[in-house]
Amino acid sequence: MRILIIGAGVSGLFIAYELLKRGLREVLVLDAKTPGYGASLRNIGCFRSSFTSREHVLLMKESIAKWLEIKRDWGVFIEQRGYLWIARREDTLDVFRELAKFHNSLGVPTRVIGVDELSSREPYINTSIVKGALFDPTAGKMSVIEVFTELYIRVKKMGGIIIPHTPVERLASSGGVVKSAITPRGEYTADVFVVAAAEGSRKILESIGVNVPIEPSPRHPLVTEPYAEVIKSGLVIDWDTPGSPHITQTQHGSIILARDIKDEPWTPLNSQRHDAFERIIKPLSELYPFLRNVNVNRYWMGYYDMTPDHHPIYGPIKPFENLYIAAGFSGHGLMMAPITGVLIADWILHGRPRISVAENLVLERFETGRLVKEIAVVG
Amino acid sequence: MGGEEVGVEKATIICRCNDVTLEDINKAIEAGIDDFELLRKYLKIGFGPCQGRGCLLIAARIFARRMSKSLGDVLVNYSVRPPITPIPAKYFTTVSLAFQGGEEVSRGGKS
Repeated sequence: MRILIIGAGVSGLFIAYELLKRGLREVLVLDAKTPGYGASLRNIGCFRSSFTSREHVLLMKESIAKWLEIKRDWGVFIEQRGYLWIARREDTLDVFRELAKFHNSLGVPTRVIGVDELSSREPYINTSIVKGALFDPTAGKMSVIEVFTELYIRVKKMGGIIIPHTPVERLASSGGVVKSAITPRGEYTADVFVVAAAEGSRKILESIGVNVPIEPSPRHPLVTEPYAEVIKSGLVIDWDTPGSPHITQTQHGSIILARDIKDEPWTPLNSQRHDAFERIIKPLSELYPFLRNVNVNRYWMGYYDMTPDHHPIYGPIKPFENLYIAAGFSGHGLMMAPITGVLIADWILHGRPRISVAENLVLERFETGRLVKEIAVVG
Repeated sequence: MGGEEVGVEKATIICRCNDVTLEDINKAIEAGIDDFELLRKYLKIGFGPCQGRGCLLIAARIFARRMSKSLGDVLVNYSVRPPITPIPAKYFTTVSLAFQGGEEVSRGGKS
């Protein structure tokens, strides 16, 4: 069986990895640009399972278990340092208690912590402006580049073929079966097609009359020069400030600062904004006063590929017999990627995924109106 | 001179900000990294304060030669990112917000 995966990002490569691991021999991955050009290498490398829908929590728990296997087997930097959502207001702690109740009911051990524990976990935080935090000990961070490069090398060594600079312009189908992917470099035939091309999936699938509601929403992270370890946690989030400014530190020592600044969907990735520095740095420097003394080294953009219910689109695309999708991760593609590989491989080889909530994430949900519900809607 | 003998590859520093040597580049290529953007990111070439001004072309040439590619092909997806030189964050912590207003998105979706 010959499989063609469109998109050599972290999702596409984990799908390839899983299929090759299960003994498939012909796995081909095409990319419009270079491997990891999109969100795969633009994200800030954090993971958690403390979400507000059953689907996200259950899938992400399994994904974290996979990440820990990968850490052991590949020897890459992946650490459960915990997430901290910081409350600047007293009443936010009530919201956090509700959230923790929901997480705990699904086996995610989040808890509300006071200022003392917070300052022992984050010694450089300005305790005079914080009231406490929600702590998720199972969340963490990883070295994105190291993990992605290792995955890329492994897929190739296992016999996967990765072809860069080959954008799929359209698919050709007949009688409910996709026959080939047409690129400027020629036509690629296969038995099974998987579209894992983030926002690019939209145009590819439009060519066979399938509408995929993905809107890429720009994000703006900054990174500093490397310093000794000052941010101990996986990610620290300033919950009570609009746009939830957040901060993490890489294994290399650089501090990554980001905030969800409102921007037009589909804004090109080279449209850096002059106001980003001030918007991002100011609130975070209130939380971490030492930031006044650091140098900002670089600023880049990346997309969150948003779907209407902020959950990915997974699984078979009907009415086609041999077409699958894994796209629209809405900012969570890296952390889900190992389980994405497992689930899509299950669908291709066995007709259904091993984790049944994944079936709630099929494309038809946007037509039937069965969108994923956020159970714990807060704030 | 005496002392331990260091191979020329190990002694040849390509990226001075992050101490990346010719040996590091050769090892990464041998490990199977056949894409320059990936190699550059993996070794953090151009990630330091020089922003690649000192090292990028040297590294790209070495890679192009080893892979028998043209320099243009090797650098096709490279993009220069601001700021051109590191900026002290303090310039953005004390000024009054010239950009105040409802410009941040509501909660949800952050990773």
